[in-house]
Amino acid sequence: MRNLHPAISFGYFAFVILITVVFLHPVMLGISLVSSLLYAIYLNGIKSLRFTLLFLVPMMLLAAIINPLFNHLGNTVLFTVANIQITLESTLYGLATAAMLAAVILWFSCYNKIMTSDKFIYLFGRIIPAISLIISMALRFIPRYIAQIKKISYAQRAIGRDVGSGRIIDRLRSGADVLSIMVTWALENGVDTADSMRSRGYGLKGRSAYSLYQPNSRDKTLAAFSLYLAVLVIAGIALRLVLISYFPLIELNHLSVSALFIYLAFLLLCLFPLLLDGFEELKWRFSRSRI
Amino acid sequence: MDASTKTRLPLKTIVSIVVIVLCIPVIIGLSLLLPGQGGMYAISAIVIAMVMAPFILAFEGRRPQARELVLIAVMIALAVAGRAAFFMVPQFKPMIALVIIAGVALGAESGFVTGSLSAFISNFIFGQGPWTPWQMFALGLIGFLAGMLFAKGRIPTKRLPLCIFGALSALLIYGLFMDTSSVLLMTNLLSGQSALAIYLAGLPFNAVHAVATVLFLIFLAPFMIEKLERVRMKYGLLGNIQ
Repeated sequence: MRNLHPAISFGYFAFVILITVVFLHPVMLGISLVSSLLYAIYLNGIKSLRFTLLFLVPMMLLAAIINPLFNHLGNTVLFTVANIQITLESTLYGLATAAMLAAVILWFSCYNKIMTSDKFIYLFGRIIPAISLIISMALRFIPRYIAQIKKISYAQRAIGRDVGSGRIIDRLRSGADVLSIMVTWALENGVDTADSMRSRGYGLKGRSAYSLYQPNSRDKTLAAFSLYLAVLVIAGIALRLVLISYFPLIELNHLSVSALFIYLAFLLLCLFPLLLDGFEELKWRFSRSRI
Repeated sequence: MDASTKTRLPLKTIVSIVVIVLCIPVIIGLSLLLPGQGGMYAISAIVIAMVMAPFILAFEGRRPQARELVLIAVMIALAVAGRAAFFMVPQFKPMIALVIIAGVALGAESGFVTGSLSAFISNFIFGQGPWTPWQMFALGLIGFLAGMLFAKGRIPTKRLPLCIFGALSALLIYGLFMDTSSVLLMTNLLSGQSALAIYLAGLPFNAVHAVATVLFLIFLAPFMIEKLERVRMKYGLLGNIQ
């Protein structure tokens, strides 16, 4: 997935996340949740998952509670608390929303790992060149500023204005000095960079952009395959082969062959990155052991 | 956004902006036709993206100078580094303050670009998520309004008006936008009660954010604006402060 053309990765995540947010079908949500969980573990490891859960669980709980409390659209009243009718439909809807949130956050954690900033800039560099340039410059400036601020504090320490020693007032004052030097340097350095760009012909006619990614035959095959699966899923939803409606009464499609087929297509689509990466890893191990 | 910048826009850009603006009510209309399940969040995110597009296109359309781009990139990098420096303290961030300073010093249009891209780029570090479009639009709007309100001395760039604007934008623009996105994502309906519940739950966080913004503005605004003004005088750049 990492080596795939950025347009395919971007389109893939956009589609899967969109389907997950819009279509709160229990089976499809389950598929999306499990696949995103597996892929997130594969990409980020178990440890980072714990950190994600830290803010995900309160969000899910809030969604599961707030829906039955404030949404009274359902027809099946479970019980009444303090004049609030808790309906079965809104309870289930709340649970589905909680699952949706989990899946979306997990998909985004995979997206963050795959769609790095360079890929995004490549993808949109031609449509919005100035904005893309700002993005890539700002991303470069951040580590540069961190390095520069270290240099400045060392220099300040050498002349006896250490941020880490003295009275609190002195420390704050020398901290503010470091910041002030930093900002002045950043602005002047920025203008120098701009002049350097200008003298090298930035913005003149006939300048082209280097593109790192050329779509190859593998990209095209995989794009066609995932597009086919995406069209199947869309068709399944449009033709109401798979359907879910929560209000006023829960309406769910029966388990027919065609519904099963759509589930399978969605499952394949959601597992697609994992299968791809797993296959490549296997291939790598296999070819390595033969050397 | 005076007349001279508008006339410089090529026809192609103006046409695409008009088309995008016309598409927004169509999308909202279509969303009302859909049955009441799911989708509210996705549609709102698409509408947000379409509202942002004219700002971005107008900026691209007038082919900004290298110096302008670099100054915006510097302000963004400072804002992102500021968010990163305070990552341990929830909501206590200098981002809004820096975006307001950028809007005041560089003008409304650059303020919008600085705000929205600060949100976008800092999310490369902190993680993109369903909140990204809302965050981008809220911060962009803050930068834009700062540029409009404080342009050409309409409101003096003194501490008090800056701080009032900062507190209001943290509470009413950023806070309200982010909480609305939570409501839409979590309930998919715009019911008054559930919205109120989430706004109340978010109020303490937004209050901390507002206090942080005011403190950072008190500390940063005078010297940052002075420095930006100095760089502009030294190198002869254009902007709000003459």
